[in-house]
Amino acid sequence: MKTAAKPWIWLVPLGVLLLVVFGYPIVEIVRLSFTDSTMVSGEPYSYTGSAYRSVVTGPDFADTLRVTSAFVVFSVVFQLLLGLLIALLVDNAKRRGLRGAMITRTVVLTAWAIPGVVIGVLWQLLYQESTSGILNYLGSLLGFSGDSAFLSDPGNALVSVTIANVWRGTAFSMILMYAGLQTVQRDLLEAARLDGASPFQAFRAVTLPALLPLIAIDLVTITVETFNSFDMIMALTQGGPGTSTQVLALKVYDQIFTQLGLGRGAAMSIVLLLINAVMIAIYFRYHKRREVNP
Amino acid sequence: MTGRRWQNAGLYLAMVVTVVVFAFPVLWVLSLSLRTSREIVATPPPLLPASPQWGNYTHVLETTGIGGYLLNSVIVVAGSVFGCLLLCVPAAYALSRLRFRGRATFSRGVLAAQLISPLVLVIPMYRLFVTLGLLNNYLGLILVYVAVTAPFQTWFLRNYFDSIPVELDEAALVDGCTRGRALRSVVLPAARPGIASAGIVVAVLSWSQFVVPFVLLDDSSMYPISVGVVNLQNQGGEITTQYLAAGSIIAVVPVVLVFVALQRYIVGALTAGSLKG
Repeated sequence: MKTAAKPWIWLVPLGVLLLVVFGYPIVEIVRLSFTDSTMVSGEPYSYTGSAYRSVVTGPDFADTLRVTSAFVVFSVVFQLLLGLLIALLVDNAKRRGLRGAMITRTVVLTAWAIPGVVIGVLWQLLYQESTSGILNYLGSLLGFSGDSAFLSDPGNALVSVTIANVWRGTAFSMILMYAGLQTVQRDLLEAARLDGASPFQAFRAVTLPALLPLIAIDLVTITVETFNSFDMIMALTQGGPGTSTQVLALKVYDQIFTQLGLGRGAAMSIVLLLINAVMIAIYFRYHKRREVNP
Repeated sequence: MTGRRWQNAGLYLAMVVTVVVFAFPVLWVLSLSLRTSREIVATPPPLLPASPQWGNYTHVLETTGIGGYLLNSVIVVAGSVFGCLLLCVPAAYALSRLRFRGRATFSRGVLAAQLISPLVLVIPMYRLFVTLGLLNNYLGLILVYVAVTAPFQTWFLRNYFDSIPVELDEAALVDGCTRGRALRSVVLPAARPGIASAGIVVAVLSWSQFVVPFVLLDDSSMYPISVGVVNLQNQGGEITTQYLAAGSIIAVVPVVLVFVALQRYIVGALTAGSLKG
């Protein structure tokens, strides 16, 4: 197609907004991370690398990273696995003409539409720590004590938060995997079956390779989403008890808006930004083909 | 065929388990929202209230600011959908149809923006808004919502425009239309389902948005529903479980209704970009 005379007119409004809302804060947060500034307005500050030194040497940040990585790894693995399993289930049921396949898909997907803070409140109510709490009651029917401290015991809290997050995020992986399954060539599966392959062998040889590009994109997306998690945990535990569920984003928020340590919080947020950057780089690799051949 | 029947039975069972796991949390909270205080603390917890206390809802609507929070959300969501489409549609059209220097760079910049944590953005934005007096200002807030949702929608709409035959625009251009007219009168009508999808996804995401209003608003009468729910929750002893449950249900009903009614648009929008990538 011929080159347009004025392509930029179409792009300038979006471009300007993105520069202001993304470009400015990124430059500013990098600058602030090299200062000893606080949130107390008007207080003078100076440029220094002390924020980074304090983050690296302080005991708190290592703890945050430990909590965050456990939260991210388990969330991502289970969201992907459960999403794939449910997608296979719905796809299989639909191909067999079983009723309820689409209802199942809709019910799972509804979790995606519920605001994160509300999911936090829902799970807080499910995890109620008396014998009138529903999960405790169901647990007691299965022979557990019936008064498990799901959220107030620092040892349990991270597991409870991760389960709620898996519940929340599975829908997105499911719908990506389900879309991917629609692209699998049925005649290849049929041929594998005729050759005597077991369902598992057919899955490994035909279905999985077809899904791999989507799995890659899904992994990047849900990893970023999980690293950026804020709203659900804010409503569920506020990062507590203590700091046992204080993931990176909550730590940054706490450091800046509660401790008022702007420089130190900015330095921590650079870690979050770097994680985002690594994920962007990986994402670009999978989008490359599209760039070359749009 | 008995093997197949056993397999079908297994699939049904798996579907029932899945539906229960995903529907139960919401249904349980719905049940909690209709209880008396006595039923809330009863052991074992009854599955359903003896008689539904619809009065809990009127109580929450009358004594908390939740009605106002809902209205605030509607305003902010409507503004965000409008603003997002206003900026994304032309940009996506240009990225799909025009060839120019810097096109790949612009696309990549947009893609990168999609993966940046909104929390990192709102820290400097908060300071900027304080300086400019934009704190507690819906226009400023909506612009941030638009920026956060626009990158994904620009990609989605660009892919959508790619799927519309170029011959459509070319015929219009040959007939003497400008680019702008070709977009308005020929391409936009053909792209209506895609634009609807983008708008609906922006609406759902904006309804859920939390960190942006949480940081950029401090006047509680301006809170959208997401921040309002946390505000309710933090009232601690003043708000008992059944009222908090009712508040949560009020916060999800609009978005869940929209979602169930329009999910075919949403599913397409969530997956299309990734499938083509």
